[in-house]
Amino acid sequence: MLEPKTTPAQAPASTKRGPRVIRRGGREHTVLLGIGAVLAVLVILWGGQLDPFNQGQLTRVAIFAIAIVGLNIATGYIGLLSVGHSAFFGLGAYTTGVLVVKYEWDPLMTIPAALVVCLVVGLLVGLPALRIRGLYLAMVTLAFGVAFPEIVAHFDDLTGGAEGMTIRRQQLRPPEWSGFTLGERSQWVYWLCVVVLLIVMWIAHNMVRGRYGMAMIAVRENEIAAASSGINIAVMKVTAFGVSGAVTGVAGSLFAMYIGSLFAEGSFTLLAGITLLIGLVIGGEATRSGPLVGALAVVFVPYYAAELGQGQVAAVLFAVVLIFVIFVAPAGIVGGIAKAVRKVVVVTPRIPRKPEGTQQS
Amino acid sequence: MLEISDLVMRFGGVTALDRVGFTVADNEICGLIGPNGAGKTSLFNCITRIYRPEEGAVRFNGTDLLSLRRHQIVRHGIVRTFQNLALFPTLSVLDNTVVGAHSTSTPHLVPSLLGWPTTRAARRRVEADAWELLERLELTDLAFHPAAGLPFGTLKRVELARALISRPSLLLLDEPAGGLTHSEVNELGQLILGLRDDYGFSALLVEHHMGLVMGISDHVVAMDFGRTIADGSPAEVQRDPAVAEAYLGRTA
Repeated sequence: MLEPKTTPAQAPASTKRGPRVIRRGGREHTVLLGIGAVLAVLVILWGGQLDPFNQGQLTRVAIFAIAIVGLNIATGYIGLLSVGHSAFFGLGAYTTGVLVVKYEWDPLMTIPAALVVCLVVGLLVGLPALRIRGLYLAMVTLAFGVAFPEIVAHFDDLTGGAEGMTIRRQQLRPPEWSGFTLGERSQWVYWLCVVVLLIVMWIAHNMVRGRYGMAMIAVRENEIAAASSGINIAVMKVTAFGVSGAVTGVAGSLFAMYIGSLFAEGSFTLLAGITLLIGLVIGGEATRSGPLVGALAVVFVPYYAAELGQGQVAAVLFAVVLIFVIFVAPAGIVGGIAKAVRKVVVVTPRIPRKPEGTQQS
Repeated sequence: MLEISDLVMRFGGVTALDRVGFTVADNEICGLIGPNGAGKTSLFNCITRIYRPEEGAVRFNGTDLLSLRRHQIVRHGIVRTFQNLALFPTLSVLDNTVVGAHSTSTPHLVPSLLGWPTTRAARRRVEADAWELLERLELTDLAFHPAAGLPFGTLKRVELARALISRPSLLLLDEPAGGLTHSEVNELGQLILGLRDDYGFSALLVEHHMGLVMGISDHVVAMDFGRTIADGSPAEVQRDPAVAEAYLGRTA
């Protein structure tokens, strides 16, 4: 009786029947989710027993996915274009590097430290968002991204400057309780990154499916209407930028553990920031699984492109892939797939009704 | 009670509001009429702090609205709809409505990130409330459809739902009958009166559809060139020669 009408926008033009409607939380939906979860577990387990090189590639995918989830919060959901998220990635990495090398911290304990450092810096860098927007804000983040390697070079007694910083293998020994030996370090990092990725994606899911996420989208889509609805735009933008930086910083911290040696001129230049942005656009802005798909593209497209040709060819091929994706699916791969799927199956939320007896006037 | 006094707003050399002043009593529907460019929407924008007037005062139940920031206005019970729609296109009709409850049930960051049970419960409560409003406004068929692509008149009702969910004490309606057919305008008038009786708010209604304004307003204010030119009962304002002049021009 309350089936949503299939509107012209949803109904496929060619078929007579509209898309199949599945109720969220219903049996079909639960089964589909279950199949998805089983597949995800199988892929993760499969990755767990791969050879070190391919496993390392998956670890990189997980790390980039976390970084892009962070970027997605600022750029995808609340619409603050950030070109310089490489700086948060680098800041997280150097927080871990410095704490482990200079202060002999347990690497695991440096993850929350990187989170806090990047949160604070993210809030500060986000402050200009109070007054400026769009391309002008992008310029501020660009400056931040450009400045980061210079700042690292400046504090060379702490960071090793241009020579870089190497974390000794011994210092990255997996913890006792994990059961991994020093020789199995790459496996330990793989599992660590996968677990952190799952946590980060779960948190992002909670945020964007909840009313907080709706408020963020509201700010992105119409600031005046959002403010008139009682949303404090300034606070929300700065907060989102801080959280965004913090999540990307966590990815940087994991990257330091994975790679073991840090060169600001290599890994954390503006190019890295643009790579994150490309990953987000390819995967799908403001989607929950877009960052993961984007991370796959960012890791594997240059890799396979490099097999086809030397040097510039890889870069050109990467650019061609990007243009192709944007042309075919302007909302990114996940956005494009979601649109196609909606022609066949539509998942609608349950009808929110008040429980009996709590009717209010 | 909304009290507007001596409000002045200029854009460069144009004086959009020139010492406007009137009051809207509690539970009253006040129609605001005037030719295009008379300053009606500018006045709305001053009340909701989108503009900052140069002079004058706007007080609501004793609170100086001009000292507030945009997002605080709704916390004092004032919400508006927009002449040319200001919705969130990718959000569904239901979610657009839910966002309107931001001030009455504010989601906080950390509990939202963790999916805290209280946050989920608050969401269910707000959604159930939104659903009731959508039922009332006959929008449930479209509840899960994104706002983008729906007809103008439908979206006007979505804006109304988003405004009502915060249980306002003053509703500012900017041309709610825009895009409606003649019979729909009559229904809208009855709907506004019914909602006022159920929820108890006063309303300031900007509208060009005279039948609607004169039919449901308790009190009508006419504006022209940023000034209040008539203020009284609908019948009085209709008879006022200044109003006829503003609309039809002076007879030679």
